[in-house]
Amino acid sequence: MTLKRTAARPGADLLQGTLDMLVLQTLRLGAAHGYTIARLIEQRSDAFLQVEQGSLYPALNRLEDRGWVDSYWATSENNRRARYYRLTPKGRRQLQAETEQWDQLVRAIGLVMRPVE
Amino acid sequence: MMRRFFRRGRLDAERAREMQAHLDHYTDDLTAAGYARDDARREARRRFGNPTVIREEIYRMNSVPVLETLGRDVRYAFRMLRKTPGFTIVALITLAVGIGVNTAIFTVVNALLLKPLPFPDPERLVTIETTVRTPRGTFVRQSGLDGRTFMEIRDNAKTMDVAIQGAGGWGAGVNLVAQNQAANVSQARVSAGFFKVFGIAPFMGREFTGEEDRVGGPAVAVLSYGLWARLFDRDPAAVGKTVMLRGESYEVVGVMPQGFTTGSPADVWTPVRPNTDREGGGTNYTLYARVHPDVPVERASAEMNLIVPPLWMPKDPKAAAETSITAGVVALQRAETTELRAPLLMLWGAVGIVLLIACVNLAGLLIARTGLRSREIATRMALGSGRRAVIRQLLVESAVLAIAGGVAGIGVGWMVLEGLKQLSTHVFDFGYPMSLDGRVLAASLGIAVATSVLFGLAPAIYASRVNVQGTLAESGTRSVAGGAGRWSRRIMVVAEVALGVVLLVSAGLLVRTFVHLRSLNPGFDPSHVVTATLSLQDKRYEDAAKVNQLFEQSLARIRQQPGIEAAGVTLGLPYTRLLNLGWKRVEGYDPVEKYLNANVSYVTPGYIEALRLPLRRGRALNDSDRDGAAPVVVVNEEFAKRFYKGADIVGMHISVSGTVREIVGIVGNARATSSGLGGDGSPLIVPFVVYMPAAQSSGAFFRQVHTWFSPAWVIRSSAPPAAVAEAIRQAVAGVDPLLPVAKIESMSTVQSAALARQRFMMSLVSGLGVVALMLAAIGIHGLIASAVTERTRELGIRLALGATGRQVIGNVVLPGITLAAIGVVIGAGAALAVSRLMRSFIWGVEATDPITFAGVALLLLSVSFVASLIPAWRVLRLDPALTLRAE
Repeated sequence: MTLKRTAARPGADLLQGTLDMLVLQTLRLGAAHGYTIARLIEQRSDAFLQVEQGSLYPALNRLEDRGWVDSYWATSENNRRARYYRLTPKGRRQLQAETEQWDQLVRAIGLVMRPVE
Repeated sequence: MMRRFFRRGRLDAERAREMQAHLDHYTDDLTAAGYARDDARREARRRFGNPTVIREEIYRMNSVPVLETLGRDVRYAFRMLRKTPGFTIVALITLAVGIGVNTAIFTVVNALLLKPLPFPDPERLVTIETTVRTPRGTFVRQSGLDGRTFMEIRDNAKTMDVAIQGAGGWGAGVNLVAQNQAANVSQARVSAGFFKVFGIAPFMGREFTGEEDRVGGPAVAVLSYGLWARLFDRDPAAVGKTVMLRGESYEVVGVMPQGFTTGSPADVWTPVRPNTDREGGGTNYTLYARVHPDVPVERASAEMNLIVPPLWMPKDPKAAAETSITAGVVALQRAETTELRAPLLMLWGAVGIVLLIACVNLAGLLIARTGLRSREIATRMALGSGRRAVIRQLLVESAVLAIAGGVAGIGVGWMVLEGLKQLSTHVFDFGYPMSLDGRVLAASLGIAVATSVLFGLAPAIYASRVNVQGTLAESGTRSVAGGAGRWSRRIMVVAEVALGVVLLVSAGLLVRTFVHLRSLNPGFDPSHVVTATLSLQDKRYEDAAKVNQLFEQSLARIRQQPGIEAAGVTLGLPYTRLLNLGWKRVEGYDPVEKYLNANVSYVTPGYIEALRLPLRRGRALNDSDRDGAAPVVVVNEEFAKRFYKGADIVGMHISVSGTVREIVGIVGNARATSSGLGGDGSPLIVPFVVYMPAAQSSGAFFRQVHTWFSPAWVIRSSAPPAAVAEAIRQAVAGVDPLLPVAKIESMSTVQSAALARQRFMMSLVSGLGVVALMLAAIGIHGLIASAVTERTRELGIRLALGATGRQVIGNVVLPGITLAAIGVVIGAGAALAVSRLMRSFIWGVEATDPITFAGVALLLLSVSFVASLIPAWRVLRLDPALTLRAE
């Protein structure tokens, strides 16, 4: 779904779709609040992906609207009230599909980008 | 999605808290990493981005744009309407009255003229229409036919099933006794196959057979559901039992289903037993026919045109050569509403005018608001609001008003309809039930929406043309009131006044007609006269001696009561419809003069005295004019005038009801309602009457006339009417305890019932006229008031420069009067055209009656003057210094 759209309109949508996927992947490890999600994406990419942290929230709103995540309020490790997100079964299936498509895309790009012999 | 749309306000607050938590966590981490608390907070903010922008982005993600703006516009509209309660109330009342009255009248029109009759395949139900053209004129007759024509159609028609109903119903109901209960019920005499034509089978039992529906056939009856429930307590065994109807026993053969009614409601149906000599000798039958399925209605018409005309042709070859007759079928609904069509459509037209005025008024009110709000709109447009947004906003405002007004209008409509039902008791016989229904509701809402577009669009377009710079600049130095919009308002005021003139002139002509009819000399003295009617369509009163015994003995008992001056019985009261009967001259008999008709009534001695009918010549009837004595009659002046050129005809002879009788007296004329004979079509005519002694009438005559008419007792007494009524009841019961009195009324009630239709039309159109006048006054008041508001500064300067209050007021009022005058002139022209269409409703007054026209013009001009003066008065309270500083 996301891929199709990305293929048709590359650019901003590619990044957006990618961010959704990254968020879903992060949540596979367990429920997390917004700040944790942003930190995890940064850390796991060896600080390569420096997301503007605020842009995470429209993505979360969208994911929740589509029923891929749901949310609840709880007390955080810092003893603050925070909103936690977790994957829904539907979100888990979506992540599965997106991961496969992503792997195909990477492999395809990798093939094209092979050093010319 | 929609859930998020409606909850997005709460979601946004939650999102804000969530983001704050994010920043706090970040700040915690940065502080732990060694940042100073303030630096940490700044850094967290820098890396996070602008939370407000993000929240707005999410908010937009969660909204539906159209709903969003619509919701905002509606909220804004409510706020604006609340801010100007005066405008809102006037607008709502205007709308509610316009829509409500229209809904009510439409309900009546719908129920009577448009709604299909409540029978299967109602479009197949027809009746006969014949057109006879002779050198003397063209006569169109619907529904009616004689026995011979009916039998010819019944036996020969292949395209339709036909049935007839016998004439009846100008008198009281009939007497029915069953299960030891007596009731006054309405009876309809119908032919075999009548119910089949209407497509409704009896709910129990069967309808009449051809064997039963012939002269001398067995006495059988079909009951209505209501009568069966009332008399037999819904007993299924009622079929086969007998009831006593008019003193004769009838076997019940069927019961009709609940709610079954034709255009002439009945409680009990009996076979009409069609004949060609008695009732069937004249056109006394009403035809109902159902065209067979798959047969085009035109073919039924063509067949009728083959069968009927030869039967109706005059025998005389010379007359036949000059006569052409065509016959055809016409939809039953159309035929049943012929009489109502014109007055109802006229009412609808009047109501349409009121609705039009209401719309014009609203448009004016809204334009005035637009004028006042032009600064607000200009500001909004200067701040970047699109033209479309402004138009949309104004349209939503009108729509909110229209819908609120439409809802209020349905309430008003319901009340008006109830009032109409009350007012029309004596006018329209609503044979079929009537209530506000879905179709009427749809029409009324349609009007509301159309009105909204009508009056919403004009100000919206004008407003969007606002010159932003001009309006903003003008507001600083608003010395001269300007604005092209005022022109449209002026035109609307002119239109309002003109429409008001049309309605008020119509109302005025109807009022003058009514006053004329009321002031007509009745020809007798109606005060202190009480009347009582009862049905003698009864087996026990087929004998002349029996009828006269009832009259004489009951009158003798009544005369014994204190205060009685005179008492008598008649077949036809004044101010009611009289019997038409043929008669022949004896002296000067001319065989060519074949069809002489007059209103014939039988009377007892005492009748002429009870009404104080003036005796012009000869003598009144007395007790010596008995059976066996020389047959006599008394005629009225109009009879002598019409047939004998006013000569003294006392002593001459005429032949009435098969007997040659001597004219012994001439009495003054008493008015009657039209029976189709003589008169100029006016509702109250001077009939030509033959008064025949009841004692010299035959049993056959009584039997024949009592099927259609009921005798009336007429008593002049100085005693209170209630006491007289009681005396009549006791006297009749004393002679025959099984004979119920149907109706006791004072003579003045009879008179006023004769003008019920005129009173109804007059009240309604006058009411509408008053509403129109009120609306026009509101319109003018609004125009002048807003002019004063807009010109406050200019007027202040004038006053400061020394103008007197009178000059300034004159200056403000003049345009209102001028516009009203223009409207009056245009309206008078339109009213002239309309009043010509009203010719058939007005009597005793010319359609161009100068008094009505001048009166209405004067009324509208004075109302306009007052409506202009009230707002202009405010000028006097202006403090020049204040107004100059105000802006």
